[in-house]
Amino acid sequence: MIEILSVTGPASVQDLGRFDQVRFGVGTSGAMDDVALRAGNILLGNDENAAGIEIPMTPFKLRFGRDTAFALTGADVEAEIAGRTIPPWWRTQARAGDVLTLKAMPRGARSYLTVSGGIDVPIVLGSRSTQFRGEFGGLHGRPLQVGDILPCASWSVTIRDLGIEPAEITLARSSAAADETTVRVVIAGEYDGFDAATQQLFWQSSWKITPQSNRYGYRLQGPEVKPTVPIEKRSHGIVPGVIQIPPNGQPIIQMRDAQTSGGYPKIATVISADLWRVGQARLGSRLRFEQTSYADALAAETEKSAYLDRIRASVRLVEECLT
Amino acid sequence: MTIDLPTIERLAGMLERSGVAAIEIEEAGQSLKLVMDRPIAAAPARAASASAVDDASVTAKADIAGHFLAAHPWRAKPFVEPGQRIEAGAIIGLVKVGLIYAPVVAPAAGIVDTVIAETGALVGYGSPVARIRPVAA
Amino acid sequence: MTASDRPRISLLGTSALLFEAPGAFDLPHQRRIWSLAATASKWPGIREAIPGITNLMLTFETPPRELDSLIAALNAGWDEADGLMIGGREIRLPVIYGGEIGLCLQDVADYSGLSVDDVVSIHAAPLYTVFALGSHPGYCYLGGMDPRITMPRRQTPLQRSAGGSVSIGGSQTGVSASPGPSGWHAIGHTTWTFFDPSWQTPAALAPGDTIRFEIERVIR
Repeated sequence: MIEILSVTGPASVQDLGRFDQVRFGVGTSGAMDDVALRAGNILLGNDENAAGIEIPMTPFKLRFGRDTAFALTGADVEAEIAGRTIPPWWRTQARAGDVLTLKAMPRGARSYLTVSGGIDVPIVLGSRSTQFRGEFGGLHGRPLQVGDILPCASWSVTIRDLGIEPAEITLARSSAAADETTVRVVIAGEYDGFDAATQQLFWQSSWKITPQSNRYGYRLQGPEVKPTVPIEKRSHGIVPGVIQIPPNGQPIIQMRDAQTSGGYPKIATVISADLWRVGQARLGSRLRFEQTSYADALAAETEKSAYLDRIRASVRLVEECLT
Repeated sequence: MTIDLPTIERLAGMLERSGVAAIEIEEAGQSLKLVMDRPIAAAPARAASASAVDDASVTAKADIAGHFLAAHPWRAKPFVEPGQRIEAGAIIGLVKVGLIYAPVVAPAAGIVDTVIAETGALVGYGSPVARIRPVAA
Repeated sequence: MTASDRPRISLLGTSALLFEAPGAFDLPHQRRIWSLAATASKWPGIREAIPGITNLMLTFETPPRELDSLIAALNAGWDEADGLMIGGREIRLPVIYGGEIGLCLQDVADYSGLSVDDVVSIHAAPLYTVFALGSHPGYCYLGGMDPRITMPRRQTPLQRSAGGSVSIGGSQTGVSASPGPSGWHAIGHTTWTFFDPSWQTPAALAPGDTIRFEIERVIR
């Protein structure tokens, strides 16, 4: 069991998401950086879908109620437990009573704490992820608060410290500038409703991530991108990654807690292989879009899976070598 | 045969004993090139002279073969620097094997004397990585 | 046959595909969408078939390697789709129009050039059909609104609108099941439970059900 001692911003319990309830209006929720959550679970020998804690802001502090193996992945955090510093993308052992402190987040936007066996909140509609809008899932369907007690399904295993290479390093893509993230997108239904010059503006701009960006969506700021004639669609299903253009011409990327449908014109969709990069892009930093084909988007998905496969194989191998 | 880590370690041991500079093997879909790293070969001499000065010093050793990292790639600052006081179990550096970062830890509390291995250098099982002058806790 | 007579099919990245039917926003078209959804939900590799307003989103269990056969199947499925008649329930929903939650009632009146009372009586007159569920848990999109009270969606969506809001977005109307962001204009509110994750089927309403709004009160 884990007790939350200090929390800043909306930290929440998330697994990979709730994927088959869209016909009831239920969005996916789930970790904004699915690669980091999976990697943490792989480090601990968990099911990759085991629930962890998504921590978007520091300081964050919790106490372990019993001996527990845990991992920190995702954003780079300056973390400490019982006087020891924990490197990024690392698993280690907590003793009963140990306090884990996340002091600062010098890189990235969300840290993931995974524990051996996973955070054991009830499965609601097929997932442990927090559904903020529906107020269910996670811990009572809400962000974590000081004093919350989270049950862990941990078994008493003792593991040795081990780190893995952060996805941002292995899956690095050349970026034009520091503090700028480039993500690949596939064009969407209304792309042709924008004239060539406006399309160019969309591709060539470095979009600023405004403070109104969160798990629902990333609201971007830049030149006005407006369709040739205003487009008002009949409401239709949308998924995380869809980039809508509301009438003010400022793009919104739908994220994990997005509505399941919308009617604003869609210019493109961030491919699912790159959505974690958006989830780790900081408020105030910049985003750039790069057009890709459906086939290349699938290849990117394969590359992401290959990274996770390599981690899985490496952890197993090192485990065998060192025991 | 598949080229797994135990195999690589066995091969590295063979290279070290035989004095061969490099070996290259190829299996279906896999190829491996092992090159003896010169700075590492020179390292034991430095380590030996250090131990001559201070017989009580202890050595932190790699327990897996790979490339040594004195700092995490995301951090400018190395895990430890000479003169630094550390606790037993403190992380001295990392050995990178594929995507794994395995820690090299201090066997005892003390003052860091020398970090022997250089970032990027190949280390083998049992390679000395740092010398520590123990200090009674 | 012109291009506008054919369905539009577009990608939503690699995780879903959107099928938009040609023709009017009416019940006969929507019945064909329900029929196509029932068929497509059984296709291999399809996770869910989610009806929208005269459109259908298919989410993928695993993204198909190539899309041509899926696109062909959707087109053929649409041509073959008979209207699926759903004998739904009829729900009566008392609505308080205007007030703090229905702040945009006057805006809709101004935009349409009608009086507040006219907007309310026009909105409450039809027997609406639940065309689709979406947006947020339990939310229903309703068909049958009188086009005289159409109002374009917001320039910039609101960060938060109240649960139970009865609102207008374009030529559609609906009732929100919980508080959250919205690009629509709220003209009133209702107190009713639309969603409970502990129910066998978590949403109270389903496509094909009908709703009649009852004017409980108008706050001017």
